[in-house]
This record gives sequence, structure tokens and C-alpha cells, in this order.
Amino acid sequence: MADSRDDFIIAIRYALLKKSAKQKFSLFFLIILSILTITLDKLSVPFVQSTRAVLNDFVYEVAVVASAPVKLVVHVIHKGGDHLNTVEKNKILIEEMDKLKYDHNKSLFYKTENKFLKKALNLGTTYNETSEDLLVVARIILDRNSPYLKSFLINKGRKSGVINGMTVFSKNYLIGTVIESNYLTARVLLVTDLNSKIPVILQGEGVNAILTGSGKESGLALEYLPDEFTLEPNTIIYSSGRDGFLASGLQVAETYLDKKNKIAIRPLADPRQALIVHVTTRGFNN
Amino acid sequence: MRVLRLVKAFIINNLPIVILYTLSFHTFDGLNDFPDILVFSFNLHMIIIYFYVLKFPEYLGLGHIFLAGIVNDVVVGIPLGTSSLSYLVLSFFTSYIKNATIRAKMTTEWITFIPALFFSNLVYFIIINNFSHLSFYYIELLRITFFTFLFFPLFYVIFSNFQKIFNKENRN
Repeated sequence: MADSRDDFIIAIRYALLKKSAKQKFSLFFLIILSILTITLDKLSVPFVQSTRAVLNDFVYEVAVVASAPVKLVVHVIHKGGDHLNTVEKNKILIEEMDKLKYDHNKSLFYKTENKFLKKALNLGTTYNETSEDLLVVARIILDRNSPYLKSFLINKGRKSGVINGMTVFSKNYLIGTVIESNYLTARVLLVTDLNSKIPVILQGEGVNAILTGSGKESGLALEYLPDEFTLEPNTIIYSSGRDGFLASGLQVAETYLDKKNKIAIRPLADPRQALIVHVTTRGFNN
Repeated sequence: MRVLRLVKAFIINNLPIVILYTLSFHTFDGLNDFPDILVFSFNLHMIIIYFYVLKFPEYLGLGHIFLAGIVNDVVVGIPLGTSSLSYLVLSFFTSYIKNATIRAKMTTEWITFIPALFFSNLVYFIIINNFSHLSFYYIELLRITFFTFLFFPLFYVIFSNFQKIFNKENRN
């Protein structure tokens, strides 16, 4: 009994402390170093934060270069497919453009009417496209497919005025918020992430709810809906501004019928298609 | 020509290190376009670390494992040191298995990969749950771990053959 326990201890000690010919560090030393790194990262000591920002910038730049070959191959495949479908797509686009023109004119009318009514009712501020807040145009440089965090990296950081908490738009639709800003780069948490919670209001119904990410690429869910409330397809979901953080009236998501004929929710901004995003303070309730 | 030969020699000599760093730096965002393939996601880092620490520890330094983990943490956006500690725990178990095993066979090494994966992932979960505010699907991680275990023999054969060919070339 005692012998087998000794063998076990010897084997563990051997695995932890023994260095083979080409090993510069022992396992024990590196495990301690890892624990120290995690602790310092958790404590957020100022010098660690700045070191992490520099490390982040360096690793992100290298990661961009490392991902370039695969990105090029995917780009070539996409471009090839696009060329083959050009004529058909063109027809669809012309039809869509006519429809959009009609919708645009209609929305201009609603916008004017809305402004007038809000003035009449003396309601608070909403998302104002013409305000002169900081607007930074950024390019998505990395989009790591991770089970833990649905996020992407943009090529603008504190140098360009990007700070934590700024809202990020893709084609005028809310896509996420900045959760980490380094000197040259920043990380954006997507609305589809499991950690994302946005107070929203449903088009037409005026029902309030919380829009949460599902952790999947395009899936979203609505929480705290009234009992026996049924969702209709093609309903636009707007931010309600009840959190006091985001402004009201930002278009976030829409409902649709999925392949199984069930009502699902998807973000209006497709994170998979986004390439250029707008980082701004204008979506705030400030 | 000489430069090319040198590059080739460097890659062959340091293949596990090159793959480890490439995997850590790589984002695989192109794979998002193929959701059917993503179902079979697995952790190649763990397979490489387990295989090389078990069979050819002289080709994969522990310092490189630590650094690759740090890079992976930065790219993924999780607390710094999480992957490093997880990989080092895997290395520790692998070293222990190596010392405790008398007659090494692929099937026994495949089975002992289960406790190694379990403890490595356990450390990962504990750190993510206690040192960050991230939420994630446990079932998805279980799936990734399952496919990591399932694909191990395939990579075992590939890496074993590669090392055989490489060692033969070196002898010649």
C-alpha cells in the first residue's frame, strides 16, 4: 500500500519537476506562471492593463497576417460564385431597389410625422442620425469563431477615439458594443452573444421585452414577453432605451419564419457579412 | 534554393510548434460559411500537445505550449493564462501517463486521453466561471471535446507516420 503511494508521488513529482534535454522550463514553473498571469489579469493592475493592451495589439496584427491566406481562398470562392450569379442577382436587385425606394419615401413621411407627434407629446430624445457625435469608420480585421464569445475585432482603437461602451452599427443597424479598446484595435461584443441583453420594443405592438443573444451566429431570443403573447413574422424590433444606455428607436432585429415554419429572430445586421462598421456615441441616451 | 531548403528543414524540425502557433493565431472565420463542417469542430491544440508530450517530447517545448495558450487567449478574448493552464494541465497528465505506462499501445493511449481531456477542460471551466463573466453552452464544449477524443487516432497515425518519415530522412 505504502509502496504504491510512493510510486504515485514519485511519478507526479517526476512529471512536474523533470526537465528533458530540450525543455527550458519545468512544468511546475509554467503552471505557477499561468496562475500568476490569470490572477494579475483578474486584478486589473494598471501596468498589467497597459501590457495586455500592447500584447493584444501585437497578437491581433499577427493574427490578421496569419489568417490572410485562408481569407484569400474564401474570397476567391465567393467572388467566383458571385460572377456566376450576376444576371439573376441583378434582376432581384432591381426589384428590391424599386421596393426600397417606395419604402424610403414612405419612411420619410413617417419620420416627419413622428417628429411632429413627439414634439406635440413632449417626449424625450431618440436616436438622431444628424447629431454631430463622434463617428469612427472601422474595418473588421478578425472574426474568431469561438464557443465562448461572439465578437469581432476592428482596426480602430483608443488612438481613433474608440472607447469601451461605444455602439457599433453595420449598415445603420445595431450590431454590438465595444467591450475592449486597445491603442490600435478594439473588440466588439455582438448582439448575438449569450452575454448580450438589450431592452427592446416590438414594432406595431408596442410590447417591451429583453432581446438576448443565443450564442449562435444569427439566433436571438426575446425574454419577458407578456403571457400568451404570440410573435408575428416580419416584425421589426427596436431598442426601447429603458436601460438608460442605448437610445430608443435603434433597429436591432426582425422576426421571420425559419425552415421548420417556426418564428425565429435574427439581427438586422448580419455579423457574417459585415466588413465595415461605424463606431459611434450617437446611439447613447446622453 | 538554399533559403527554401532551410525553411523546409525548419518547418520539418518544428512542425508541432508551427502548427500550434498557427492554430493559436488563426481565426478560422472562413469556416463560418460552412456551418455543416462546424458541427465537427475539435481541439487540435489538445491532440498535438497530448501526442507530442507523450511520444516525442523533444519536439514540443513546454514554454511554447504556454506561449501558444497565451496567444489563443488573446485572440479568443478570454482571461489571459486560461488556455495556458489548461494545456499545461494536459501536459502534466500526459507526462504522468507516460511515466506510469509500461507497454504503450495506441488504444491505451486513446483511452487515457479521456481523463487528460477531462481534467484539462475542468481547469478551463473553473477559470472561465470564476475569473470572467462569460457564459457559454456546456453542450457545445462537450461536443468539441467528444470530437477531439474521436479524431485522436486519425492524427495519431498522421503524426506517427510523419515522425517516422522525418526520422528516416534524418538518418539518411
